[in-house]
Amino acid sequence: MAGIDVGGHGGKRATNHEIPLIPFIDFLLGLVAFLLVTAVWSQRARINADARVPGPPKETPPDEIKKEKQLHVEMKGERKFQLVWKEGTTVVNTIDVPRKQVNVGDSGDFKYPDLAAKIEAEWKANGSHRAATDKKFDQAVLHTDNSTPFQDVIAVIDAIYTPQRDFSFGGGTEKVPAFNVTFAVN
Amino acid sequence: MSSKALSRFHQPISVPGRRLLHHVNPGFVRKKVSGGGQRSVNQEIPLIPFIDFLLCIVLFLLASFSASGELPIDKNIKLTNAENVMDMVEAPMVAITGTQILVDGTPAGNTRAIIDGNRLTRVDELFNILKNKRELWKQINPGKPFPGVVVLQVDRKVQALVVKSVFQTAAYAGFPNVSFMVGRMGGGEGGGGEH
Repeated sequence: MAGIDVGGHGGKRATNHEIPLIPFIDFLLGLVAFLLVTAVWSQRARINADARVPGPPKETPPDEIKKEKQLHVEMKGERKFQLVWKEGTTVVNTIDVPRKQVNVGDSGDFKYPDLAAKIEAEWKANGSHRAATDKKFDQAVLHTDNSTPFQDVIAVIDAIYTPQRDFSFGGGTEKVPAFNVTFAVN
Repeated sequence: MSSKALSRFHQPISVPGRRLLHHVNPGFVRKKVSGGGQRSVNQEIPLIPFIDFLLCIVLFLLASFSASGELPIDKNIKLTNAENVMDMVEAPMVAITGTQILVDGTPAGNTRAIIDGNRLTRVDELFNILKNKRELWKQINPGKPFPGVVVLQVDRKVQALVVKSVFQTAAYAGFPNVSFMVGRMGGGEGGGGEH
């Protein structure tokens, strides 16, 4: 047991004291057990999407909005994806990517690595917002069939989020997805 | 003068002999306890490093402790997994099962109407609940910018039409930042119940 020895007695009350360590250890073990039992080891995460809805009307007319290139990802065909770069309504470039699904694990998950690689290459070639200080992101618009299963939609959004860029935030820099994803309404 | 030796308290000089542990019997125990020329059998457990170790564990567990517990997942939802994900945030939770739409566990519509209509549909019940949540948040946090974040828990088999309808409804109710809850790919089963 831990003790504090401060020398002789000198005829007075004893100055050596024993700290009761055993109850203290019992308390710590109880605390550890409680925290371990209530611990949450969460595997949950989120994948972001942005709904580009108009804000409230302003009194002053907005400045002319510069038309930026947007990447439209069409996943309507069964055999291929179509990547379409558009500037407003003008089609700049169209690329076909074969729809090769790669299964991951045995829980039914899959991904599209070919699509992810092509989107990354396209962003490196045509992306407008690359600087870490740039607060805007390149926009990707996802076109799906109404009957497409949600799992398929997430696999494509996951592929769109593959290209990453630096982003300055709160004095530091972190890696964030280069694209902002939204859904096409039609 | 008597030849009998005086007791130790009466004689000025003690009789020579063993003083310590002389009362311990039998002989081999006494030999063991007193060392007996061999290694002592009494061991001190080093408690201080043990306490330090326990304190480190306690501090780590306290730092990672979450009072809110695990995020609730509807038992009818099997989440999908993804690789490029972000950490979860605290936000209203909209669950879409095969047939039902729930906001924080409260029923807020049915997917059947959307599928039957076969077009993007605003879910009025969901819209009203989310709008009320937004108003409540603004009353509780006056002057602060509303984050407008909502998290969708969607079963992996739900059709894109239903997801897009709920997505649009949430956006029009003032929640334009929509996140989809997913599992981390490689982090095990998606979660929720089986169909």
